[in-house]
Amino acid sequence: MSDVQQTVEVLPKLSSTKKKKPVGFYLSATWIGTVVFLAVFGWLLPTRPWDSADYDALGVKPFSPNHPLGTTGDGYDMLSGLVNGAKISIFVALVGVIIGGSIGTFIGVTSAYYRGMYDRVVTMIFNVMLSIPNLVLSLALLSVLAYSDENNPTTTSRRVGVLMLSLTIVVVPILGRIGRASALQWAGREFVLASKSMGTSNASIIIRHILPNVAPAILAIGFLAVGSLIIVEGSLAVLGIGVPGGASWGSMLANGRGNIAYSPHEVYMPAMAIALTVISCNWFGDYVRRALDKRESKI
Amino acid sequence: MAGSGKAHMRPDGDRVLTVEDLTVEFRLGKDKIVKAVSGVSFDLIRGETLAIVGESGCGKSTLGKAILQLPKPNSGTVNFLSTELTTLGKKELRDMRPAMQMIFQDPVSSLDPRLPVSEVLAEPLKVWKRGNQIEIDAKIDELLNAVNLDPAVVRDRRSYEFSGGQCQRISIARALALEPTMIICDEPVSALDVSVQAQILNLLQDMKDRYGLTLIFISHDLAVVKAVSTRVMVMYLGKVCEVAPPDELYKTTRHHYTRALLASVPIPDPDRPTSSQLIQGEPPSPLDPPSGCRFRTRCPAATEKCAAEEPQLREVAVGHFVACHHPNES
Repeated sequence: MSDVQQTVEVLPKLSSTKKKKPVGFYLSATWIGTVVFLAVFGWLLPTRPWDSADYDALGVKPFSPNHPLGTTGDGYDMLSGLVNGAKISIFVALVGVIIGGSIGTFIGVTSAYYRGMYDRVVTMIFNVMLSIPNLVLSLALLSVLAYSDENNPTTTSRRVGVLMLSLTIVVVPILGRIGRASALQWAGREFVLASKSMGTSNASIIIRHILPNVAPAILAIGFLAVGSLIIVEGSLAVLGIGVPGGASWGSMLANGRGNIAYSPHEVYMPAMAIALTVISCNWFGDYVRRALDKRESKI
Repeated sequence: MAGSGKAHMRPDGDRVLTVEDLTVEFRLGKDKIVKAVSGVSFDLIRGETLAIVGESGCGKSTLGKAILQLPKPNSGTVNFLSTELTTLGKKELRDMRPAMQMIFQDPVSSLDPRLPVSEVLAEPLKVWKRGNQIEIDAKIDELLNAVNLDPAVVRDRRSYEFSGGQCQRISIARALALEPTMIICDEPVSALDVSVQAQILNLLQDMKDRYGLTLIFISHDLAVVKAVSTRVMVMYLGKVCEVAPPDELYKTTRHHYTRALLASVPIPDPDRPTSSQLIQGEPPSPLDPPSGCRFRTRCPAATEKCAAEEPQLREVAVGHFVACHHPNES
């Protein structure tokens, strides 16, 4: 039988149809870039030492010549505090999301793919974990794991380690559920069945077909999770069980809240750093999600 | 109608596939079991195209997947190229897979949107280590040319950049990559425009002649079936009703269900009176199928015998088998 040679007309490439990116994208990307830069290279900058007080300048207002963002009532420089705090705030949140997200995605995607008893147990555990508010869960984990009394005080590095561990555990069910929901949808597609019927192993179906398709959802929610972990870290510090001594933004907030009446910038500065970072993460995550969704919505 | 039996089997033919008493059940809660396919038997002679027809939910697609052991059937035997598939271990079953491939209904869902066409077609070749990168590239070009797509244009594009018909061509190319003996086509043209349907059907026919394939063609569209098949098997609620060559089946329809199915094919003539032979009502729930003949609740010729006794397939003309106590006399 004869068949007409197909003329292949294809949709225009995505790049030509791309809309201009919203201003929010550039603002949030710039802010995230700055914060990450400060977190990584901040210690190279010629700022004052963050942990030694300038006793000639107690409670200086912002925009003063020696202290651009002012000082605390005890004479600690706000700018160097913020630069140094970025390190722990960002580091703790990123490590939590990357490790917790990887574990959660792995568990979620495999449970969606294999179903059965494994899936039921995983879903139940995720649901139980998600029913406990983030803050309460990390509070409980932290107070058990970093318990200290007068005889054995907990070191700062141990506190940071335990903080990261508890934030990681908080993230596992959040990204695990997203990964599971997304993988469920993809695992039902016929190309998965086609791969099975040609003898591709389950492991390589998951790696080659399911994970790349699940990645956009995980990535977008991952950015949101970074934002919420920064908040959890701050909240824990304010409750007095985070990183001590003003070493993170939350910790600076906690130290400054006693002085809010006469030097409010001690609270505003770290609070604004946290707020801007969280908003940027949400915006950026949202943008990533929309950019990656386009491809699917074209079908 | 809708009975069991093996009168239509051809033990002396060059059989590629022999399915006997195949049953697939789905568990829906504690005591609810749906028998999607119950006791179906048929065989497939090398080079033929067996069409499996029936309305939605009669178990056609489930049957197709059960033959590929995705998932394994609950009981019955599937003998493919003299190998019993249902009892094979994981590894041995995997070794059989290249010889049996499947083409699916939804052309877009059949292709991974993240992968360019060259990767889609390379997957089966890489899984089975068929040659090095240069040989695989050459094979991909050959496959794309075979399905009338220009490799230079198509290779690096992804599935969402193609129309349904083009996606289906790529699916066919993928199914051909491992040079299978048998391809199960699960409603391969149902999701396509009528003009594209003809192209894809012609393509399947070409590929069949060129690569010496044996096809199972699952469809609900009797017009399509007539065009492609050499043998038609009509299914109702997981059972076989009638088996016959298409010309015979369309000329002298013996089964009441097949007759109703044929009468439901729309004919573009506004003056034509509405057929009185259209069956009434919905198919009964497969959770609780009727006793005896499964079609009796909607059958115009049903008697008490139909409720008491399940009809067996029997030969009513040469090569024409029907499972009915009171077949049409035509």
